Amino acid sequence: MSSSAIDADGDALDLVCQLDNVQGIVDALTSVRWKRHQDAVVELSEHGIVLIVEESSCLQAKVYLQKELFVKYEYSAEGRPRFGVSLGLFVDCLNTFSVPGNSNSIEIRYPGPDMQLLLKSVDSLDACIYAEVRTRIPDTISWDYNFEPAGSTPLHFTVKSAALKEAIDDLEWPGSSIQITLQPNPPCVTFRGEGHGDLQIDFMYYANTDLLIAFSCDRQISYRYKYKFLRATTANIPGSVIRDNRGSKLTIGRGGMLKVQHLVSVAKPPVSHSHVDYAGYQQPSRIAYIEFFVKPEVDDNTVSD
Amino acid sequence: MKFKANLTDHGVNLLEKRFLPALDKMGKICHLYLTRDHFFFLHNLLNGDGIQSIAQFKKEALFEDYRISSQNEDRIAFAIDLSLLHRALRSIITVYAEFSSHGVGGVVSNQIQIRLVKKLPAHSQQPTPFLTFETKGYKSAVIQDVPISKPLSRADMAELQAALDTAQEMPRTLVKVRDMNQLEQFVDRMKHVGDVMNVSISKYGDLHLQISTTLITLGAEFRKLLVLGEQAEVPRGEGNLSAQTRTQRAIQRGDAMIVQVSVKHFFKSLQCHLAKPDCAFYGITSQGACLTVIFQFFVPGTRQTDKSISLHCRLPVLDPGSN
Repeated sequence: MSSSAIDADGDALDLVCQLDNVQGIVDALTSVRWKRHQDAVVELSEHGIVLIVEESSCLQAKVYLQKELFVKYEYSAEGRPRFGVSLGLFVDCLNTFSVPGNSNSIEIRYPGPDMQLLLKSVDSLDACIYAEVRTRIPDTISWDYNFEPAGSTPLHFTVKSAALKEAIDDLEWPGSSIQITLQPNPPCVTFRGEGHGDLQIDFMYYANTDLLIAFSCDRQISYRYKYKFLRATTANIPGSVIRDNRGSKLTIGRGGMLKVQHLVSVAKPPVSHSHVDYAGYQQPSRIAYIEFFVKPEVDDNTVSD
Repeated sequence: MKFKANLTDHGVNLLEKRFLPALDKMGKICHLYLTRDHFFFLHNLLNGDGIQSIAQFKKEALFEDYRISSQNEDRIAFAIDLSLLHRALRSIITVYAEFSSHGVGGVVSNQIQIRLVKKLPAHSQQPTPFLTFETKGYKSAVIQDVPISKPLSRADMAELQAALDTAQEMPRTLVKVRDMNQLEQFVDRMKHVGDVMNVSISKYGDLHLQISTTLITLGAEFRKLLVLGEQAEVPRGEGNLSAQTRTQRAIQRGDAMIVQVSVKHFFKSLQCHLAKPDCAFYGITSQGACLTVIFQFFVPGTRQTDKSISLHCRLPVLDPGSN
């Protein structure tokens, strides 16, 4: 164990890590911030940090910050420490560290003398930003998501994030419940909202392969999801991430559980004179993964399997 | 009670582009206080709890042909709505510029005149005071009347002058902010976390800001800032201590002071950079009575202080604290 993983009293810390792009982490965490006061559970492991938020046992989001995103990641805990934090406060706090003109590099340590999460800016001359975020004993996650494939052929499609967000935003008008249908022939994904009126958005695989990047489905399947939960999966992704316009992958699992996956770049901000990589290229290790799980609505009209 | 003056081009520029946008952030209503030599914009001097701001101009900085007379030693003060003042001035400038751009300015001189008048508004029997702007355009002339309060009574004026005298008290130690824009952005983000900020300033040139609630402590320490006034040597061997410990020790030694102010007030004080000052200094007045920020303006193109303009703010302290 290196000397930096020990605090002032000589006690071993569970985690000491350093990050050189706070803004990337702020973007990733903002994506799952669907309301003002939101409790999150943070789990530390040798592989990285996972942050979990959930609502009404119907919606859960996870942000995976793998250890490869960190410049330094020294983990020395037994088991997997978990603690609860206020997501809003944590994001607002991290955001303070990403003021332009500052070093944008921070060190995160856990636990502090009072089980706090300790943050500190590094490498900035004569200016230091620090924070101590109080942690709680975590609530138990009320439902655990054993996301299982719906059959032998996976049911999934990948769509440009901006298009997905736009489609879901447009569906606000008809109302509270959205039906997602996948059909193999012709390969097509349909979002349909019924309420004050009805609105249907089709993503045809062959019509526009730029939009619908990948598609896998061997039989027609259809489930309904509450609009507000569906909206939470895209509404809070920062504009800068949407402009990156990677693909978002949507998978329907057993029982209609919907998994939505996004990728957020946590690359070090480009230095102005660096050579230009080919468009959109990112090292795979500098990506934060975000997953949402949405439970389907249970009603008699569901056309399943 | 009479007041009449012509705004100079420099004065128009100072007010319209710089000071009015900044002062508007301090609060919509302020007092204008006019004396034989000076022109003041004063915020919250007569009511206690807001951020006080004092902008002072020598009459030559804004006006020419400045004439004032009153029975109270040629002093006049009244309250005015800054956003109305700003709008009136902008409208006047548009017409004024039109005149100049037609090149007739060389032949017939044009001015923006400002004066105090009493007029009978429509549907009223009661004459009402206005601050009036008047200028000529190419084909038109324009008059903008900005409603103002009744001029302050002799007693109120005395109170205002006394408050102004008190507000001139200087902190013993002032530290110079390195980058105002960055500090503003930083406090803008910090203000989401809490409402009350601890500000400590040391004789070593440290400015330490901290918001502490039951859920979070978030702070920033800026070190090795330029110090004006009382200074002290940085104690040896404290380089590796945390910002909090260093500040605590400095307070115990009497080398630093700490006050609690509203984050909102602190943020407002930073918005004064809209007036484009060349530097800003923070200090705490004796016994921690208030946090003062003083803005310095240079004579354009030099590093010499422009003594005809001054701007400073005083942030009320929320809790006198232990010192």
